[in-house]
Amino acid sequence: MVSIPASAAPKRRTFGELLGSDLRALPVVIGLVVLWIFFVVQSDVFLTPRNLSNLLLQSTVVGIMALGLMFVLLVREIDLSIAAIHGVTAVVSAKLIVEYGVSPLLALPLSVILGAAVGSVSARWVNWIGVPSFVVTLGLGLALNGIQLLLLPATARFGLMGTGVELIAQTTIDGIYAWLAWAIGIAFLALLILSSVRRRRRVGLEVSVIHSVVLPLVVSALIGAVAVVVLNANQGIPLPVLIFAVLLGLGGYVLNETQFGLYLYAIGNNAEAARRAGIKVPRIRTAAFAIAGGVAAIAGIIASSRTLGVGVFSGGGVGGGTLLLESIAAAVIGGVSLFGGRGAIHAALLGALVIGTVQNGLNLMGVKNEVRLIVTGLLLVLAVSIDKIIEKLTGQQAY
Amino acid sequence: MTAQADEPSARDGPATNSSVPLISLRNIQKSFGSVHALRGASVDVHAGEIVALVGDNGAGKSTLVKVMAGVHAADSGEYEIEGRPAIVRTPSDATKHGIATVYQDLALCNNLDAVQNLFLGRELTGSRLFGGRIRRAECEVRAREVMSRMRLSNLSLSRPVGAMSGGQRQNIAIARSVLWKPKVVILDEPTAALSHSAAQQVADLIRSLADDGLGVVVVSHDIHHFVVNSTDRIEVMRLGANAASFRSKDVTGEMVVNAMVGGNEGVNLAG
Ligand SMILES: Nc1ncnc2c1ncn2[C@@H]1O[C@H](COP(=O)(O)OP(=O)(O)O)[C@@H](O)[C@H]1O
Ligand SMILES: [Mg+2]
Repeated sequence: MVSIPASAAPKRRTFGELLGSDLRALPVVIGLVVLWIFFVVQSDVFLTPRNLSNLLLQSTVVGIMALGLMFVLLVREIDLSIAAIHGVTAVVSAKLIVEYGVSPLLALPLSVILGAAVGSVSARWVNWIGVPSFVVTLGLGLALNGIQLLLLPATARFGLMGTGVELIAQTTIDGIYAWLAWAIGIAFLALLILSSVRRRRRVGLEVSVIHSVVLPLVVSALIGAVAVVVLNANQGIPLPVLIFAVLLGLGGYVLNETQFGLYLYAIGNNAEAARRAGIKVPRIRTAAFAIAGGVAAIAGIIASSRTLGVGVFSGGGVGGGTLLLESIAAAVIGGVSLFGGRGAIHAALLGALVIGTVQNGLNLMGVKNEVRLIVTGLLLVLAVSIDKIIEKLTGQQAY
Repeated sequence: MTAQADEPSARDGPATNSSVPLISLRNIQKSFGSVHALRGASVDVHAGEIVALVGDNGAGKSTLVKVMAGVHAADSGEYEIEGRPAIVRTPSDATKHGIATVYQDLALCNNLDAVQNLFLGRELTGSRLFGGRIRRAECEVRAREVMSRMRLSNLSLSRPVGAMSGGQRQNIAIARSVLWKPKVVILDEPTAALSHSAAQQVADLIRSLADDGLGVVVVSHDIHHFVVNSTDRIEVMRLGANAASFRSKDVTGEMVVNAMVGGNEGVNLAG
């Protein structure tokens, strides 16, 4: 939720133009609100702190996957192996822990590094041979599925109960500590905003305090506070949710503030222009795939902790299953373009919340799983159409 | 604005052909396999002058420009910069020597704003400790300076350039080329695909670059307006070599076109 206004004192823009840029999240937020209203009407349980905590927790794995995938989508590539990376790295670390007695403190970071390494391998292949990433990663994903199955024992499962890994999903930060976490997050955001403002003032640029300081801080603080109140009313902030929040903050910083982040957007829009500007396009692309792979492994750790073990099902099963599809869908529903160069960090959160809400709400209504797939699928189609619809209605292309 | 404004040659106007040219290409040969694209082409660019490069399709204009910009290395011929032999065989060689190029496709990122496009690839960044955080405020101030010097202050610095008009985008591409204070700016077809008034604005902008002491080379097909009205000298190319050379104020569009297609008027009126 880090959003630093690029420039103070903007000229007046049309609503259509804003809808294509700063307000791109608006349709998704509205959609989310509509879904929530629908489920509140359908089920008395939906709005209870317990259920909302559950919903948030259910959304983290897909949200984290989507967050990593975003980096690849931004450079106009796709990684269809992220679910397989998620599965195979989880199985590797579980095997190390269970069969070889390696400490999780070593095995888990190792699996993240492994995920990043696998991601960078497919990027290097794409850079070197020049084949489309979706084919390379599709093939790599299948190969990784095979490796995952080979690594599993005869029982087809490594139980992680009692290894310490299960603590990740079971730990919650509650009461005053939850508020402390909230305060630290807001403090970081404030520091970032204030340092931007100070720099602008120093070089003599005007700053609109309301638009670039008060608004982002108050909105972020409010959303965070509501989340903390709800979570505290249940059991506190689940550690996976906190991890997701930290990744969102880090990702937002990288995308909005750093040179690397800017290059992702530049390459996604016009790789040739980026190359002529002296940007080392293959290197940036490799980094994007490595991030997606590493982040997929983090999601794999959280998932295996929640399910107390790994098996054939880890990583969505063979082919990535719904895990892969929902991760892509979350990014796209949140507003990341499949054509590269567009999408803000909150897309991962919003998209995962939409998918999590549909799953959770329909579950409460006792609707069958099949219907859930249908609804999620239709929402995805609706989401990718939003850009085009906005374009048609306003005559303004979205960036 | 430009660095060479302090140098003596910068004050010389377009008429001073006796001064040392900023860049001088002589007798350039370039083949692509069996295609002999340049057959002894030459061009000089002086500080403060706008040289138009005209010719039919396939005459070799783009190739000559690319040799200037280091995109293609010449097979043979001399390349001098301020009177000294220079080796320009890559785009970064050209950049180092203060030669900037505005390509026909502009090479802008439509999803980025003007400041981001101006600095693309050369952002001012903070410590690596913070992951190379972009010093947006400093970039923006530099961008504003350049834009206001080019009388482009009305352009928004924070809108994606894809939302801007063709003329505005052309102006941003030109502003980007002068941001790092080059000595020579090369433009390939800057007025193609622009409306008449937008083309006039771009022409004014190009003139202001020359007034600042830069040498400007412009490839253009817009003979009757831009070339005869807004440049100082015209080099006509035909079949990879120089066919004629004019002072822009001495000629009409018809004379230039005749020289392009091989009429008998192709004499050297510039002397
Ligand atoms: N990269 C290239 N490879 C092969 N042939 C080329 C290449 N670039 C230009 N040519 C050829 O060289 C000749 C001159 O082309 P060019 O310089 O583009 O002409 P102009 O810009 O005047 O239209 C043409 O015959 C063209 O086909
Ligand atoms: Mg050409």
